[in-house]
Amino acid sequence: MFSLTRRRVTGLMAGVALVAGLGAAQAQEDDIVIGGSIPLTGVFAFAGVAIEAGMQDYITQVNEAGGIGGRNLRLAYEDTGYKVDQSVAVFNKLTSQDEIHLYYGDSTGFAKTIAPELNRMGGMIMGGASFASELNDPEEHPYMFMAGPDYSEMIAILMEYIAEETPGAKIVLVNSDTEFGRDPIESSRAKAAELGLEIVEEIITPPTAVDVSTEVLKLRRARPDYTIFHGYILAPLPEFMTQAQQLGLETKFMGTFWSMDSSIWDSVGEPADGFMGVMPYRYYYDEEADAPTMAKIREMRPDYQATGYMQGYLSAMLMAESARRVLDQGQELTGSNLKAAMNTIEDFDTGGLIGIPISIPGNSVPVGRVYQYSAAEKKMQPVSDWITVTE
Amino acid sequence: MTDLLFLLEVSLAGLGSGALLSLTALAFVLIYKATRVINLAVGEILMLGSYLFFAFGAGMGLSVWLALPLAVAGGALTGAVVERGLIRPMLGESPISVFMVTVGLGSVLIGLVELIWGTDPRSLPPFIANTPVFLGEAYVSRKILVAFLVAGAVMAAFMLLFRYWRGGVALRATATDQAAAYSCGINVPGVFSAAWTVGCGIAAGAGVLLGAIGGISPSMGVFGLSALVVVIVGGLDSILGALIGGLALGLIQSWAGTYLGGEYQSVVTFGLLIVALMVRPYGLFGTHEIERL
Repeated sequence: MFSLTRRRVTGLMAGVALVAGLGAAQAQEDDIVIGGSIPLTGVFAFAGVAIEAGMQDYITQVNEAGGIGGRNLRLAYEDTGYKVDQSVAVFNKLTSQDEIHLYYGDSTGFAKTIAPELNRMGGMIMGGASFASELNDPEEHPYMFMAGPDYSEMIAILMEYIAEETPGAKIVLVNSDTEFGRDPIESSRAKAAELGLEIVEEIITPPTAVDVSTEVLKLRRARPDYTIFHGYILAPLPEFMTQAQQLGLETKFMGTFWSMDSSIWDSVGEPADGFMGVMPYRYYYDEEADAPTMAKIREMRPDYQATGYMQGYLSAMLMAESARRVLDQGQELTGSNLKAAMNTIEDFDTGGLIGIPISIPGNSVPVGRVYQYSAAEKKMQPVSDWITVTE
Repeated sequence: MTDLLFLLEVSLAGLGSGALLSLTALAFVLIYKATRVINLAVGEILMLGSYLFFAFGAGMGLSVWLALPLAVAGGALTGAVVERGLIRPMLGESPISVFMVTVGLGSVLIGLVELIWGTDPRSLPPFIANTPVFLGEAYVSRKILVAFLVAGAVMAAFMLLFRYWRGGVALRATATDQAAAYSCGINVPGVFSAAWTVGCGIAAGAGVLLGAIGGISPSMGVFGLSALVVVIVGGLDSILGALIGGLALGLIQSWAGTYLGGEYQSVVTFGLLIVALMVRPYGLFGTHEIERL
């Protein structure tokens, strides 16, 4: 007679757990894993949280549609606190736990640190939150890519717009004294000269700068038509703009991708009105008819999603598309196959996430559009067409 | 002439931001003077103060004039709780352990703020008018002028209190010799509590001023590190040192940023720190302690 003793129950439970565990492991073995060093805390957390949401949503969509060649996508990630050593530790941990061919890194510092290892391993491609110009070099960094224009290309897009609107305009560059901030200075000078624009002052601010009175005084001396910020998220831009307005300066202020989330400008109010910048993707609330992806995102997430969300979403889309192309060819998922597949992406339809079909000739997607913030509408509104820049 | 005016404007801006440094440095000094603890979480208390102001002013829609004292009180309360709950039980432990507790406290506060208010940078509800001020011909940002006046008034008040008020004298006595202060009937634990409470309240107030100028984010506590430079140069236990050190550092940073470029500000700041420590290891106005072997 079979009676339930405590020992039997425990044994039974252990058996069930083991079988379930094996089953889960079996199911996971087939998954195509995207690894991620993602900053969910620290100075870049606001972007990291959005990036993770964007990646997860795209992955869910792919899996609901049957995955890639019948295999599910899965995001394996951990928080890095936006610290390079932590990002590297997460990378080592995740790559030892899973077979990873696609990876999302959180910073320029991490990307540069891991680059030699990435080249040595040759097993994966890596995208991430960095748009560093230095990484946009297929010779040096054959396994890297970025889901948008690099920082130099972002400034180039802004300058193309300026040259169109105000030929011969006077420009002041304001950059933070960080690797991120200093990235496009050299190339900006060259681009300005090429387009006949005049850089009348270059201002570098320390990363911890709070008060910018001194810098505004420099701006008053230079009297530029346009002031281009790079290397910031929000602070100290609002104070800069407020003080410049107090002094009656007519200059138009511009920024690059990480300063362009409209929700961070909502709380700034009136001084934010008219702020312009380059944005590689459509905003959550852009309701153009040719953008089914945006409609889908709004359906999945009824609330506003930040620009980092779009960046994560497109990163996952490009990774998935590359993997799909490799598997369709019956090839192995290796770094060089994936990257070669990614470079075959030509006139690719993102479903309206970017307003024109995109191509990835090198490591970047050199497309963007100039948007302008309206304080009354609390929205970024497009003021240019989609601009493609090529070296 | 224009160049002279420009120099004057740059100097005024430097003095203004220096005053904010002084005010934050005062929080370090008060706590160190009474308890011999370097509270590295001052920067995070400052950040917490600005978020409390944000919560009361923007979240609950209170008048800014009510939100401001509430934010300062919130900072002070945090200081009191931390002193009673974390620091006092550590009395007699090695200074490094206590120091590490404050480092940990800083991380905990950042985590709490990120949990409650999220990680996005935000702007405080405006409470300082935006119209510029001209001193003669020279332009000064109104926010910076207000910060300068508030910091000046608070510092002056504390210098007077330490000189003439019984509580201030008790704090000075405790700082000089705890055992002797006990034997004179001074409530030493009470002095500890008061120093943490007032110090953290000041830090929270400085956070509101700083947030009004530069916006708030969970990482704004790094400003505390610049203030730490001020107290090390000025003297860890000297209010006058905090005042003069802050103003001097603000001026020097402003000049360096203008005439050398922003990339030289950190070089100049920390270069100054090294030189000051080599010349006067106990700070320009700090107490030179002589130990008999």
